[in-house]
Amino acid sequence: MKEWLRVFKNGLSIDNPLTVLMIGLCATLAVSSQVEGSLFMGIAVIFVLVMSNALIAMLRKVIPAQVRIPIFIVIIASFVTVVDLFLKAFFPPIYAVLGIWIPLIVVNCIILGRAEAFAYHNSVWLSIADGLGMGIGFSFVLLGLAFIRELFGSGKIELFGSAVLKMPSGYAPPIILMMFPGAFILFGFVVAFVRWLNERSTERKAA
Amino acid sequence: MLTISHFLLLFVGAALINNILLTRFIGLCSFFGISNSMNTAFGMSAAVIFVMMMASTTTWLVWKFILFPLNIGEFLYIPAFILIIAALVQFVEMYLRKSSPALYRAMGIYLPLITTNCAVLAAATEVSKPGFFKMAMPYSYTLGEALVYAFGVSVGFGFALLTFTALRERLDIAPVPRVLRGNPMSFITAGLLSLAYVGLAGWFGL
Repeated sequence: MKEWLRVFKNGLSIDNPLTVLMIGLCATLAVSSQVEGSLFMGIAVIFVLVMSNALIAMLRKVIPAQVRIPIFIVIIASFVTVVDLFLKAFFPPIYAVLGIWIPLIVVNCIILGRAEAFAYHNSVWLSIADGLGMGIGFSFVLLGLAFIRELFGSGKIELFGSAVLKMPSGYAPPIILMMFPGAFILFGFVVAFVRWLNERSTERKAA
Repeated sequence: MLTISHFLLLFVGAALINNILLTRFIGLCSFFGISNSMNTAFGMSAAVIFVMMMASTTTWLVWKFILFPLNIGEFLYIPAFILIIAALVQFVEMYLRKSSPALYRAMGIYLPLITTNCAVLAAATEVSKPGFFKMAMPYSYTLGEALVYAFGVSVGFGFALLTFTALRERLDIAPVPRVLRGNPMSFITAGLLSLAYVGLAGWFGL
């Protein structure tokens, strides 16, 4: 259980896929203009990551090393298809917003990367912890970005058709935050901030 | 519809106005991963143009003649397309190694990376199963249009990659604050470059 918690926490902090490992960026920057879309994207990634990690860990003794990558991709693609059809059937407006990003989860480096680096060498139980940790770490940063972009870029946050949070009236939102360049620039500063925090904590430990 | 200007507009729209890297965020992993030197950026751009054209043609044919008529496209397109791309890249690699070693040396090592390049899957999906990118263009592609579109997207990818690589080489010697050095500054630079592309939006009614 201790080991399980350690693996789970790794994904959240020191191995966070977005701010530390810098993988899976495309989807993050594109989807993070809306909290609602990001929420569904995060859930979709957690689902695919946990399921594919678990299945690959289960099959790791029968998958031959030479053809492991195509097998990983097929397993991941099947779970992505599940998400794709599910969202299309039950949440059509969300599906319209996320669009191409759902099929593109297949080539999201985080999922293939975790299959290769973790699930192929570890037990099912630990792989589920890794999938959950990495997935939640991803969603956390994604939601944080989306929160900043939607709140300051559009002046309010909308969830399921109603505004939950509003800036005071008279606030003029800088539209650039909602646009593509804003995402790049904001993410640059977020990465710099995380790095500054990490550096400060290692300096404190050393002192 | 089949006029030169139509194809030209499709090309410009795909390459510049809807640039896949800087206005759609697709393919960013390779964008930040290999933009360290001009040589690698050139090799990668050439390989992407080559693979994207071939992959889009193949998925277009498979969708048109196998997946769509058999009514299995809706739930099989993701595994089918990604496997087509993976297999295709493998074949291209083997063929190049045998037939033209010079070309293989130039872009061979980038080929395996392309399998997981989202730009290729995105372009291949868009031409076969249109509607994901909300382009102000006709929504079903003929084979000719698919080819022009894939060419435009991949040229736009290469162009943005080379511009960004040139900028990053200058950035290495620029006086940047310590916390921003490296990746954070690259993101901010990419943001400014993307701003330039946003300025193109609306040209020719695209």
